[in-house]
Amino acid sequence: MSKNVKPSFSKALFSGVLLDELVFPYPEMDKEEKENFELMRESFKKFAQDKIDSEKIDKEAQIPQEIIDEMKELGLFGMIIPEEYDGFGFSTTAYVKMLEAVTEQDPSVALTLGAHQSIGLKALLMFGTEEQKKKYLPKLATGEMIAAYCLTEPGAGSDAAGIKTRAVRDEKKGVYVLNGSKIWITNGGIADFFTVFAKEPIADTKGDEHDKISAFIVTRDMPGVSSGKEEDKLGIKGSSTTEVFFDNVEVPFENLLGQRGKGFKVAMEVLNSGRLGLAGGTLGGIRKVLKDAMDHITQREQFRKKLAEFELIKKKVSQIAVDMFAAESMIYLTTAMIDRGDVDYSLESAMCKIKATEVGWESINECLQMVGGLGYMNEYPFQRALRDVRINPIFEGTNEILRLFIALAGMQERGEYLKKIGGALKDPIKGFGLLTDYATEWVVNRVTTERIRDVHPSLTKAKADFENWAKNLHFAAERVLIHYGKNIIYREMVSERLANAAIDLYGMIATISRVDTLIKKKGEEKCQREIQLCNAFAEQAWRRIRRNLLMTDKNIDKDLKEIAEFMTEEKQYPFETE
Amino acid sequence: MNIAVCVKQVPDTETRIKLTDDHKAVNEDDINFILNPYDEFAVEEALQLKEKNDGEVTIISLGPDRVTSAIRSALAMGADKAIHIKAEQHPADPAVTAEALAAVLKEGNYDLILLGKQAIDDDHTQMASLLAEELDLPAVTVVIKLDIEGDKITAEREIDGAHEVVECSLPAIIAAQRGLNEPRYASLKGIMRAKKIQIEAKEMSLADGQLEIVEFNYPPQKSAGKIVGDSADAVPELLRLLHEEAKVI
Repeated sequence: MSKNVKPSFSKALFSGVLLDELVFPYPEMDKEEKENFELMRESFKKFAQDKIDSEKIDKEAQIPQEIIDEMKELGLFGMIIPEEYDGFGFSTTAYVKMLEAVTEQDPSVALTLGAHQSIGLKALLMFGTEEQKKKYLPKLATGEMIAAYCLTEPGAGSDAAGIKTRAVRDEKKGVYVLNGSKIWITNGGIADFFTVFAKEPIADTKGDEHDKISAFIVTRDMPGVSSGKEEDKLGIKGSSTTEVFFDNVEVPFENLLGQRGKGFKVAMEVLNSGRLGLAGGTLGGIRKVLKDAMDHITQREQFRKKLAEFELIKKKVSQIAVDMFAAESMIYLTTAMIDRGDVDYSLESAMCKIKATEVGWESINECLQMVGGLGYMNEYPFQRALRDVRINPIFEGTNEILRLFIALAGMQERGEYLKKIGGALKDPIKGFGLLTDYATEWVVNRVTTERIRDVHPSLTKAKADFENWAKNLHFAAERVLIHYGKNIIYREMVSERLANAAIDLYGMIATISRVDTLIKKKGEEKCQREIQLCNAFAEQAWRRIRRNLLMTDKNIDKDLKEIAEFMTEEKQYPFETE
Repeated sequence: MNIAVCVKQVPDTETRIKLTDDHKAVNEDDINFILNPYDEFAVEEALQLKEKNDGEVTIISLGPDRVTSAIRSALAMGADKAIHIKAEQHPADPAVTAEALAAVLKEGNYDLILLGKQAIDDDHTQMASLLAEELDLPAVTVVIKLDIEGDKITAEREIDGAHEVVECSLPAIIAAQRGLNEPRYASLKGIMRAKKIQIEAKEMSLADGQLEIVEFNYPPQKSAGKIVGDSADAVPELLRLLHEEAKVI
């Protein structure tokens, strides 16, 4: 076992090990920070209600400069920057909760703040040298500089190996000469600080040169940096999204972020922690729309009944509550993992992003459905919310690629354990573009434990279901590994099911831990609603898990693939009734 | 200028109020408490006066431990000092609160005492007048514009259908109405700064009040709407109902 490997709850889960000490008890915010955060949330809410007009922002596709300026005054650009660099030192938990509150008021505004802090300046925060931090963080904290994260290119999305932007060292001048362009860069039009990923030739021990990715700090004032026009988007229209060009930009050597050739790791770790902001924000988006929908269904009557009294409306409302409760439990368990610093949270972060963004889309879509025709009218905000939330399953890693990552990274450890296929499995997964560079092996010597600690009696059934289906996920993963070996990377439908099962299991354990901890604090009587939500989620989740795992062996994947291949040849739907 | 601002912590206007089982009090579980909105105008005015004339702004609030978060809100806006008069709960009788506040205000030797025109929870709207009595100072209520030149105060009051301008001299008590100013939003910087300020806690035995809360009741359920007719013929009946039943015109 290597010493630096951090334990991962979900990776261990695939290996049949339940590291319950990583998820119990459910974390609680530090008291003083909670007070600060609540004051700030209150203050922002007032500001937003007085000043932010989301309809106007959407129509004009721009956030008024006064809003940006006032948010700088409020300190919202420096939330996660430590106090020693003139920021406010929010924990990830407080920061994500703040983004949730901001998204509730306006998603474009939240995205501007999120792209700045969750990813734009995060590499500097995580990998920057003391000199780099001293130079830039204070300006980023006040918003004097706004940050953007530049990874995506026309030929490189989830597959970072396709990056074409090049950095060539000019030893005489002491600079890298940067050439290339990045697309769909959030804050691209307003940023002054860019975290840029580019390839540079690096000699290996034999002296042969290979292209490796490195990360750089690029600032707007460097000659050759420019932004394209603002993209016309479906939603989050107020946020700035542009192409960013680098034309013979001379970047001083001292602006290298992290080690040469280690840009991959930088890019991934930034995204791993950054995704939580997006996940939390999505919850805020639902909150807002749900309030509007609840107003409608408690007022509008059909057949002399309020809409809220109809069972099919109740079903929608309760499903939104159950899903939000699970997503919320997952998110704030994971932000606490990030804050404690000694846990590998890469899988959980991806799970939160997937769960929250899909719950976001589904819930907002259901809110629109509940208000009926009115939801389709541009006069009402439902359509805007749906447009705004639609990007979430796409950016910061599509949910598809993240599912493959969860399954493959989850099985990677097990693959190592199963020596016979370990070597065969590791390389292909490692070649899987962006997704790897994760240490493995740490659970290898742990004895399989099929039980977690005792929980409150009201949650016993949920706990037993969790244990049972966790065991089944482990067996399924093992069967899959033995069956497909290294070819598992091509069995995406299989991987997706395992990932879905793992996400549901994490949702179950997060809600169980949350409610169990809450009961200990408040007593069972005051937690009836939470107990109900937890048990409802667990019941739904284990049934989904069962279906997913059963389909590991019995499925129609082959037929589906053949149909798809046929369609791909036809490039259209070629059928018609006789 | 040495300014005191008396503030109260109240339930958030968006909170759904639930009563205790005996209907003698509001059930405080799950209530989000805020700084009384009218007090925010008072704090803002104090801060603006301080910025113009130098001086110090002291926040004073009476109530249980939870009121420190309302005090922090005011400090986060930029106030300098704070005094928390500890009490198990807000007294039912505003006179009791006034007496306690007055005792603290006397010690502070303030040039100006500001407060909101009313608290949005019990709506007594008495504090400025009660304090005036306790402290033997002039009080101007429902103030929407305040000018202070030397010792002279010119205050504009909002009265029914008109504005009234009054003058008095410092020290005095001013009760703020919406429109007096636009309260600033607490910034993270202000919040962090406020954290470092020690709130002075005062233990004080409160007098027995003369008022007792007998019962709280929920507002009556809104009754369903009524369609009077669909032509011009219905107008007289509509007018009658609006006047006699709904009593809105």
